[in-house]
Amino acid sequence: MDLSRRDLLKAVGGAGLAMTALGLDAKEVKAATADFRIKGAQEYTSICTFCSCGCSMLCHVKDGKLINLEGDPDHIINEGALCSKGASMGVIPNSDQRVKTPLYRAPGSKKWQPITWDEALDKVAAKIKQTRDDNWIATEKDGDKEYRVNRTDAISFLGGAQNHNEECYLMTKMSRMIGTDFVEHQARV
Amino acid sequence: MTNHYVDLKNAKAFLIEGSNCAENHPMSLRWIMKAKEKGAVIIHVDPRFTRTSKLADIYACIRPGTDIAFLGGMINYILEHHLYDETYVKQNTNCYFLLKPEFKFEEGVFSGYQEGKFKYDNSSWGYQLDPQTKKPLKAKSLDDPNCVFAQLKKFYSRYTLQTASEITGIPVDTIKLIADTLVKNRPGTIMYALGITQHTTGVQNIRSFGILQQLLGNMGKAGTGVNALRGEPNVQGSTDFALLFNYLPGYLSYPNHDQQTLKDWTKSSGTFRAKFLVNLLKAWFGPNATPENDFGYGWIAKKNKGKNYSIFRIFETAVEGKMKMLYVMGQNPMVTSPNLNLVHKGLSNLEMLVVADPFMTETAAFWEKPGCDPKTINTEVIFLPAASFLEKQGTKSNSGRLVQWCYTKINPPGEAKTDLEMVDLLFNRIRKLYAGSALEKDQVFKKVVWNYPKENMYETVLQEINGYNLKTGEHLKGIGEIQPDGSTSTGNWVYAGCYANAKNLTKRRDNKTDPSGLGMFPGFAWSWPGNMKVLYNRASCDEKGQPLDKERPLIWWDQAQKKWVGFDTPDVPVATDGPDTPNGQKPFRMSGEGVSRLIAAPYKDFDPKNMDLPRDSSSTPADGPMPEHYEPVESPTANKLHPKVASNPCLKYPRLKADQPIGKHSEFPYVLTTSGIAEHWCCGAFTRNVPWLNEISPETYVEIPEQLATKFRIRNGSKVKVWSARGEVVVPAMVTKRLRPLKINGEEVFIIWMPYSWGFKGLSQAASTNLITIDAGDPNTWIQETKACLVNLARA
Repeated sequence: MDLSRRDLLKAVGGAGLAMTALGLDAKEVKAATADFRIKGAQEYTSICTFCSCGCSMLCHVKDGKLINLEGDPDHIINEGALCSKGASMGVIPNSDQRVKTPLYRAPGSKKWQPITWDEALDKVAAKIKQTRDDNWIATEKDGDKEYRVNRTDAISFLGGAQNHNEECYLMTKMSRMIGTDFVEHQARV
Repeated sequence: MTNHYVDLKNAKAFLIEGSNCAENHPMSLRWIMKAKEKGAVIIHVDPRFTRTSKLADIYACIRPGTDIAFLGGMINYILEHHLYDETYVKQNTNCYFLLKPEFKFEEGVFSGYQEGKFKYDNSSWGYQLDPQTKKPLKAKSLDDPNCVFAQLKKFYSRYTLQTASEITGIPVDTIKLIADTLVKNRPGTIMYALGITQHTTGVQNIRSFGILQQLLGNMGKAGTGVNALRGEPNVQGSTDFALLFNYLPGYLSYPNHDQQTLKDWTKSSGTFRAKFLVNLLKAWFGPNATPENDFGYGWIAKKNKGKNYSIFRIFETAVEGKMKMLYVMGQNPMVTSPNLNLVHKGLSNLEMLVVADPFMTETAAFWEKPGCDPKTINTEVIFLPAASFLEKQGTKSNSGRLVQWCYTKINPPGEAKTDLEMVDLLFNRIRKLYAGSALEKDQVFKKVVWNYPKENMYETVLQEINGYNLKTGEHLKGIGEIQPDGSTSTGNWVYAGCYANAKNLTKRRDNKTDPSGLGMFPGFAWSWPGNMKVLYNRASCDEKGQPLDKERPLIWWDQAQKKWVGFDTPDVPVATDGPDTPNGQKPFRMSGEGVSRLIAAPYKDFDPKNMDLPRDSSSTPADGPMPEHYEPVESPTANKLHPKVASNPCLKYPRLKADQPIGKHSEFPYVLTTSGIAEHWCCGAFTRNVPWLNEISPETYVEIPEQLATKFRIRNGSKVKVWSARGEVVVPAMVTKRLRPLKINGEEVFIIWMPYSWGFKGLSQAASTNLITIDAGDPNTWIQETKACLVNLARA
């Protein structure tokens, strides 16, 4: 039978009746469409980025591009299933809404302007140093006693529940070295 | 979670309260339904009839912010009718411990309340102690009026079914039915989410769960527990790694200004935890951390003990002009934080804002908010394009503490980078800027060990987290190998063992081997601590160490091997210390007492060999050792139990008077509660950029009960203005039967509901619900009361 992939998908999507009309076995059709889609693709697994169930996703890559994403059947929690949000995540790496370069918005400006990573990181690093130096609290009095506190209260860090553990760990390490206590994330919201 | 997702299949009863898991944790349903197929009973308690309610056998409509009264009613009923598991309670809790005779609860406050300071002196809440050993004195019987159990009974006696019903709006019979159902169907589990935490009594809501489960003997066993369905993919991990002002990684208390030395810190936190702090300092400062220099403890900033550094204070101190700079990594407070007008004011007052995210967010573009003039906003903003989860490696920890490795085979789009690389590049730059400084304050940049290779950076960092035996250079195989003398290091002690024998155990994928049949799969990824699946599993055994539930055994004492063994990692202090030793009778070893705490008295435990410093210290909530019902800050009714102390007496609100007005019931007659939906998630930065999801759920809305809609002549789709003392939104209406009026203290109370995932960026744009929500917070966690505030509404 000479059917295009689109015809096959239509048949599958159009419910069992259509398939029966075409004389197709549902299982075979499903297997065949999957095969077309991911033939020759590389595979990897990731963990979903929404709630905390920790469902595994099976991802397929061709020519460096994510071409398919589905529930990982070998996972102990989701056993191949994904919810509506998880199942839609194949859109993310390919979305034209992704920001692709660092951007800068000057004080009072109405627009973003692209800048290089070096410019962006140099600005951030310099600002952290200046803010830390200008707002350093070496000691603090409590009653009659003077305490060494080595701190700045003018710099804050926020975020982490969307990040991986290694990123959270380095963020904690960096912010605590800088000496701020305003280190927070989504656990409170 | 004390247990884990697959374990849900082992429960015979589910109390799901403050969670719409069918929509917001869909895969938990997979395991709940497996239990239901075997006859388990599902109870759902929520202000709105949701998709979860539809699957439930019993549904109870509760007024937002009254969970303590509902649970209190059940606890009292169980105590009064002797429906508790007495053997379990006696073996596993502090029920016999004697409290000080001066402990009291009168007219809405516990003893020691400091009027005007919004806090307690909790010294009267402690135990009577043996003067020599400093161990708690125990009563001979549970009838001793000063023992924990008798005090618990006395405290809860006010929570009759009738009182609970009048406060919550749940009929007396339904409360009784739920209690009887939980008593009759054990093992039973409790599942909750933000519907429980986002209150000014959030911690005490969860304490109520703890008390209920202890009384029912529902802890430490398969199919039991108090199970938080956490709201973000790695919020368990980000909490474990202490992106929270008051902790260091592994839940070590963050040092206060009056804890100038490691010894000062140990006086408060105990030697058990000091060992882990030493190991963290070794991970951070390497060879520069020595016993002589207190392992570099002095280089770490000391927070002011009396100050609050929570997320709310970031924006408030910005409004006050004290906060100059904010770096945001994958969070979008301009949608998800309450009282957004204050957040916007804070962001507008910063000198610099840095946002790293895969998508443009409302936070990064706050100066583009409709109706505001960018010319008047002088904040410098830098946006750093971040890799999405699919474009990077590393581990995530789910709610069940399962730590799993993520792979990738694609690059981030354009010039986007991973957050790990960004932090590394940024910190190396900061270090370089300080390289020439001889100032003492800058020495920390020279002392810190920070040297991560570009290749395999995630795996290198994970190894630092796991930790090393510094003498042999080998990875630590578990918490048991951690030494107090600086000869080992670990970046987070609860993760020690995740990378053992040079193997990354978070990559394991054995989904076949489950000898217990209970869904433990010990060879699949790795759970903290020590690959333990069910916390407190010692409580699944009797005094002699034999399983109580013969159908679902977890661990047991093997007399032949002289060892605790079983299907799970035994949760005991020392695996070879049997039931006839003190260590063999510590089912809740992570509390100072070694047992669970029906009343959370302040307590420091001493080792007889070292009476100088405590071994461990138990924490006590700021707002009381037992959960008391307080009304939300904005409440439609008086506090039935003590009208003079309406809301939480430890609550300081407003903090900024001009920006935090409190709405009166006379002006704002309706209760608003908010939550997520199946198709959009949190701030929506991801989901509102997915066309499919926008097609299914295109815009925000307000759900209004039919009776209220009739009164205002509101129809499905009508534009409705909803406003509070803080802000207003105009959104379409969804008229529904899912909400219904409740009878509260004899009066009719209407509740309306809104999702909160929208903002002015992304492919689907709409008003943010958080413009109207309140930012009053729980005095322990500073989680805001987004589940209950007062609003008014009108046709727009």
